[in-house]
Amino acid sequence: MRQIEKVSVLSNAPRCEDSDNVYFVQVDAAKCEQCGECEGRCATGAIQPRNGDEGPRTVIDPAACINCGQCLVNCPYGAIYEGVSFVNEIFAALKNPDTVVVSMPAPAVRYGLGEPFGYPIGTYVGGKMFAALRKLGFDYIWDNQMTADVTILEEGTELIHRLTGKIKKPLPQFTSCCPGWIKFAESFYPELIPHLSSCKSPIGMLGPLSKTYGAEVTGVEAKRIFSVSIMPCIAKKYEALRPEMADSGFRDIDATITTRELAYMIKKAGIDFNSLPEEEPDFDLGASTGAATIFGNSGGVMEAALRYAYEVVSGEKLTVPDITAVRSHKGVKEATVKIPSFGELKVCVVSGLDNAVPILEAVKSGKSPYHFIEVMTCPGGCVNGGGQPLFPDVRAGSLFKSIVARMNRRFAMRKTA
Amino acid sequence: MQTISKMTRRQFVKVAGVTAGAVLYLWNFTKLTYAAVKDTIAQRQSAVYEHDTKMKIRKSQDSPAIHKIYKEFLHEPCSHMSHHFLHTHYNDRSGRIKLLKESGLKLKV
Repeated sequence: MRQIEKVSVLSNAPRCEDSDNVYFVQVDAAKCEQCGECEGRCATGAIQPRNGDEGPRTVIDPAACINCGQCLVNCPYGAIYEGVSFVNEIFAALKNPDTVVVSMPAPAVRYGLGEPFGYPIGTYVGGKMFAALRKLGFDYIWDNQMTADVTILEEGTELIHRLTGKIKKPLPQFTSCCPGWIKFAESFYPELIPHLSSCKSPIGMLGPLSKTYGAEVTGVEAKRIFSVSIMPCIAKKYEALRPEMADSGFRDIDATITTRELAYMIKKAGIDFNSLPEEEPDFDLGASTGAATIFGNSGGVMEAALRYAYEVVSGEKLTVPDITAVRSHKGVKEATVKIPSFGELKVCVVSGLDNAVPILEAVKSGKSPYHFIEVMTCPGGCVNGGGQPLFPDVRAGSLFKSIVARMNRRFAMRKTA
Repeated sequence: MQTISKMTRRQFVKVAGVTAGAVLYLWNFTKLTYAAVKDTIAQRQSAVYEHDTKMKIRKSQDSPAIHKIYKEFLHEPCSHMSHHFLHTHYNDRSGRIKLLKESGLKLKV
């Protein structure tokens, strides 16, 4: 067990055939104060006391856990640990002269990575992040934002095909970028699978592109490429291990780490992050747009897709790209967007899966009025993901809570005795 | 108002109780207001939108890297190539959930 940015992490790197039985997050029973915070945060109920109503919480079964890590980032006692880490594998690949290591950081990472280095919450540190990745020894600095743009063209086109009847798939269409949401839908709402966009997530796209198109433009043999996904998310570790993520002829994504683990690696390598210059990613799989950077916010994928769909459907230029009606702080937001020569497009944005359940039930019973629905597991979107640095108020101010928790624990012990 | 020294025990307990309640209430109120002002999720969210406005290109379809990859490799959105590399299928995973529920486990969904 290793401490990575205040979170305990096992250095365990499973293979894809094990991934359905791996605990990506689990509770250390010895540290659990039984306060119940994690149970409140969990959308599925996967985390609960093993026997009945009392006792330390535990993730009961990996099948019920969607790996979002909201329990972990909100535990006041640091009692929940990560069960999977590829940090050792990445350090080894960076040292290996035969391996060409490529970076694939998600949009939200650059809005959280500054915090472990003392920057105020939300500071954009994209330029320094690219510089740090070069310093760590990554051979090509590719950016997941580039394939967020690809996702928009693919997912936007799929939506237009559904609207025009060019493909026989039902409406509303759901976004498919969030791996927690996808596992949730597969496990609890399998009847909605035809509604899910068939598009992989941006990282699901960049993985295979890095070993095909990326190999082509750089002249590197695909088998030498080691692709590293850097995510604000724990569920992305599960997504990359899905057996079907091997369309390039190799494992599309060789390793996945969180924002916290990247900060840990930068510190471990002795890099002075704060004095790094601002650098750019490499063009081919690295250049991106504003539409891609907003993917990390609840409502961001929706807004980016609308910026595209509006122009394609209407044939007119969208002069102001800001579509603030779909920006969502937390919870649910619905909007109607008028698109010339189409009419009214009804959309819905939801974050937090407990908020999604009523919407999913409506779709299931055929009563949903929407054309397009964006779902993200973490409240507020990926910027608040389970792989992001902890907010300072999570562990602090826990004195009152901890007294209450200790009293509850004593009480529970007396009851069982 | 009576001074503390002249209070009966009962009166003192009453005053102390009300005071403690008021302090706790106000403390909680202050804490909630403070949390609302420095909403940490909103801080990261607004940083994202702010950076979006600073980007030279703000629509995916205007990106030169996108033009290049579709010209050289993917051809067009939802093409044969993109279906092969960029699209996927999903698996019904409800079987294990059903088994868990049958074993008596209570889940939220």
